[in-house]
Amino acid sequence: MHLLRTTSTSLLGATLIATAAAAQDQRLDRLDPSVRPLVASVIDSARAAGLPTEPLVQRALEGATKGAPGEVIVGAVQRLVADLGEARSALGPGTTPPELAAGAAALRAGAGPAVLAKLRRARSQTITVPLAVLADLVASGVPVDSAAAAVLALASTTRDADLVEFRRAVERDIALGAPPGMAVSTAASAAYGAQGLQLDAGARQSRPSRP
Amino acid sequence: MFEHSENVIERIVAHLRRPVQIDPAVDSRVMEEIAGGPTPRVSGGASAAWHWLTRPRHIALSPLGGLAIAAGLGALVLILPGRRPHEAPPAETATRAFQFVVVAPRAARVALVGDFNDWDAARTPMRPSQRGGPVWTAVVPLSPGRYRYAFLVDGSRWLADPAAPAARDDEFGTPSSVVTVGGS
Repeated sequence: MHLLRTTSTSLLGATLIATAAAAQDQRLDRLDPSVRPLVASVIDSARAAGLPTEPLVQRALEGATKGAPGEVIVGAVQRLVADLGEARSALGPGTTPPELAAGAAALRAGAGPAVLAKLRRARSQTITVPLAVLADLVASGVPVDSAAAAVLALASTTRDADLVEFRRAVERDIALGAPPGMAVSTAASAAYGAQGLQLDAGARQSRPSRP
Repeated sequence: MFEHSENVIERIVAHLRRPVQIDPAVDSRVMEEIAGGPTPRVSGGASAAWHWLTRPRHIALSPLGGLAIAAGLGALVLILPGRRPHEAPPAETATRAFQFVVVAPRAARVALVGDFNDWDAARTPMRPSQRGGPVWTAVVPLSPGRYRYAFLVDGSRWLADPAAPAARDDEFGTPSSVVTVGGS
C-alpha cells in the first residue's frame, strides 16, 4: 500500500513537471532549438524566485530578432535575472514589475542599490519613471552621483511627466555642448523652480508623445 | 408646631398651583424639530412596506449556511471586474499613445520592434509620412514602464532612435533606444 502511494505521488509530480515544461511560453519557439531549453530554464528559475518573467522573455526575443548567438542570448537573460534580483533586494518585496525592470536598468547603468532604496523612501508613488530617468541620464553621460542627486531631489515632489521633461532638457543641453554635470544641475534647478508654474501639463496626455 | 407645618404646606401648594410661564416660541420650535427629524413621512402601502423593512427579525442560520454565504460573497468580490484585491494601481495600467518617427531615405519598408511587440518585425510596420518620403511614423499605445526598441530598415539594417536615450545595456551588438512612459 505504501509503495503504491509513493509511486502515485511520484507519477503525479512527474506529470506536473511535464505539464509545466509543456506550458512554456510559445513565444520562445522563435529561439534556436539548442538555446530554447536553456533560456526556458533560466526563466523558470526566475519565476520560482518570484521575479517578473516578461522582461526576460523580451530580452531573449530581442536577441533572437537581432540574430545574436545563443550563448549571448542566454548570458543576457542571466544577467537580467541577476539585476532584477538585486533591484528587488534594494526596493523591497512589494515592488511592481515595471519598477523592477527600471531598477535593473538603473543598476546596470551604474547606480548603487542604496540609491534605489533612497528613491523608494523618497517617493510615495510608483518610482518606475525616476528609476528610468536615472538610467537614461547616466546613459547620456551624466556622472552617476550627479544623476542620482538630481533625481532624488526631484522625485518626492515632481510628477512623472515633468521628470521625463527634465531628462529631455538635460539631453538637449548636452547635445548643444554643455558638460553633462552642468546640464543636469541647470535642468534640475529649472525643474525645481518651475513646479509651481505647471498649470496645464495634463493636456499633453491626449496627444501622441515622442519618446 | 402643627399649625406652623400647615402653613408651610399651604405655601408650597400655593406655589405649585401658580401657572408656569412658558416661552411662546416653544411650540413652533418643537414642531420644526419634528418636521426635520429622520422619521420618514410615509403613508398607506409605503408605510406598511417601510415598517416591514425596518421591523427587527430573528434569523436562524446554521454554521454551514453561514460559511456558504461567506464563500459566495467572497467569490462575488473576486469575480466582479475592477475589484481584484491585488490589481495594479491605475497609474501603472493606463496606456498612452506614443508616436515613433525615423528618417530613413531610400528605405522600402521600416518596422518598429521592441519590448511592446515581442520584437516581432511583422507586428508594427511604419508608414511613410508621404508617398515615397523619407519620414516614417508609427503610433503605439504603451502602458507606464520602460521599453527598449529599435527600427528595422528593409529587414536587415538596425537603427536607434536619435531622438531618444540609447539603451545602455545593449548586449546584442546593434543599437537600441529606450522610451519611458510615466503614470502621472
